[in-house]
Amino acid sequence: MSGLKSMNQKAELLLEAAEAGHVEEVTAMETVAGCATTFDPGWEVDPFGGLASLCHPMEADLYGCSDPCWWPAQVPDAMNTYPSWQEGKPSAQHDWRELDPVMPNTDAVFPKK
Amino acid sequence: MARKVSSIMARGTLVVALAGGALGIGRGALAAQVPTGLAEIRTHCAECHREVSPGHFDRISEERKTPEGWAMTIFRMRQVHGVQLTPQAEAAIIQYLSDVQGLAPAEVRAGRYALERRPNVPDLKLPDNLNVMCGRCHSVARIVLQRRTPAEWLKLINFHVGEWPYLEYQDGSRDIAWWRIASKQLPAKLGRLFPLRSAAWRAWQHRPHASLAGQWIVHGETPGHGAYYGTALIRRTAADRYGAHYQLRYADGARFDGASDAIVYTGFQWRGTGTLGGQSVHEVYFASADGARIRGRWFLIKHAEIGGNWAAARATGRAEVMAVIPSALRAGTTQRVVVVGRALVGRVNLGPGTQTTVAAHKPYGLILKVSVAAQATPGYRTVRIGGVSTHDLLAVYQHVDRLQVQPAFAIARLGGGTLAAVDAQFQAIGYTEVAGANGKTTAVRLGAMPVTWSVVPFDAAAAQRGDARFAGTLGQDGLFVPSGGGPDPRREFSDNNTGDLFVVATHKSGRGSVVGKARLVVTVQRWINPPIY
Repeated sequence: MSGLKSMNQKAELLLEAAEAGHVEEVTAMETVAGCATTFDPGWEVDPFGGLASLCHPMEADLYGCSDPCWWPAQVPDAMNTYPSWQEGKPSAQHDWRELDPVMPNTDAVFPKK
Repeated sequence: MARKVSSIMARGTLVVALAGGALGIGRGALAAQVPTGLAEIRTHCAECHREVSPGHFDRISEERKTPEGWAMTIFRMRQVHGVQLTPQAEAAIIQYLSDVQGLAPAEVRAGRYALERRPNVPDLKLPDNLNVMCGRCHSVARIVLQRRTPAEWLKLINFHVGEWPYLEYQDGSRDIAWWRIASKQLPAKLGRLFPLRSAAWRAWQHRPHASLAGQWIVHGETPGHGAYYGTALIRRTAADRYGAHYQLRYADGARFDGASDAIVYTGFQWRGTGTLGGQSVHEVYFASADGARIRGRWFLIKHAEIGGNWAAARATGRAEVMAVIPSALRAGTTQRVVVVGRALVGRVNLGPGTQTTVAAHKPYGLILKVSVAAQATPGYRTVRIGGVSTHDLLAVYQHVDRLQVQPAFAIARLGGGTLAAVDAQFQAIGYTEVAGANGKTTAVRLGAMPVTWSVVPFDAAAAQRGDARFAGTLGQDGLFVPSGGGPDPRREFSDNNTGDLFVVATHKSGRGSVVGKARLVVTVQRWINPPIY
């Protein structure tokens, strides 16, 4: 780190933590199991544990998430796994109600009623 | 493998396959009994997964999983590779693989919260960089609930990169040598932490599975409704199938009866479908190795986030106090108290300042009438019944000093269209502060308290956006129900009805109000909802 100069407060704090040997202690907020902890920008919450840095509304960029596989555990990816997920639903803004959940048969371990 | 198959044959569903005679070999009809699940694997899976030796299939036999894990594997085989299975064939394969390549009780323990679909649970913290490498997208419970060889862990990583290539470019990956770590370090690390072969699994495979049939005493708690108690009658209906009838009541006397049918996987993993209190539920329970106790969580079929804890013990056995309902008594009151337990005979003593009479003996324990003196000393009480005593199931208090809202951090999700909303259930746990002999105060847990509920914005930005108005409604039972999804033209940028809120509980007593709060983030939908989140 000796060749780097911190440019903002966050970087200064990180530098201090590194010098004190505490980098491993710099972790994200408490993680709720099942929520993504990739924070660019975040699916459920943003890097600060809130909502401000997420897409507003989410539908504005939903297909920008599903066309690749940006949230592979939250949003079906049209790239490989669910190629027809958004087929016939060209506008997420208007068609979001028609988007189906996937894994419809996840109750396979339970006896049928 | 032959030993595994024969042990399953002894208790599993069987089909009879006619071998030699059907093929015209001329040695007569050679009857071989084959478990249905194994026969289905040979029919539907062996074309790709070569049966390298009897019952040992390429790749399949290098993994062990929970029933839910095998169900997710079959889903992926269907989704990615086009495998077509009837529901019956799928069920048979899940049952068979869970039995011959399942997890031992000790191996399930750490990830049980995920199988029980407990909402708002902090994820496990795995050593080194495994949370960043594996837990950025899904829970680490998915990993903890699998066992593989290092070579199989590597193949799983290869599959991830091929199926979801963008994972290398995301925050948390692009800033490290992700592929080098994933391909060179992780397989051996995961193979050590979660190995295919283990002493626990070897021992469990050799242990006979206990029958769960019989009379049981049940107690539990439904957040938002309180504690319940009663009895269960469990009957064995097939080798690994059971039927159960429940006679239960909440503390206020409301009936909470039910019934279920269940499959028991791997000898201890109960998966039931039934009703409780008139609602359709699934049950994810785990029996102890000796078959003397069953614990777990039931949840609504359409809202897995809503459910309750479940504990059952055999109705016969040595004397034991299992629960006291309610778990705290306010000084200066007279109350009906249920002591849940078995073989409870003899004098009842709840300590100084209490007067107790036994109102009734029930199959699930005792019903008491308890008067607590106005000046009774607050703190945990030892419950003594005959020769049995327990020390931490009952408390006496003068007043509530502190409220802890649980969960402290919760996620709710918007619904609408094809998706149900994900609600959030809160409860307020009361504590009273008691001075100890060493001068320090101790917090004595009193259990769920009656409170009034409200929401306020988490911060100024949430207030400015009107989150408390748009995000949903909080009922006086502590249940938050989110609003509908989709862009809302009433909000700035036509934003979703997301919200960042504090949930506030207020308990009023003679000494004024006690307040507790938790954070609630109402966020967007999730379209992928597997059995292990």
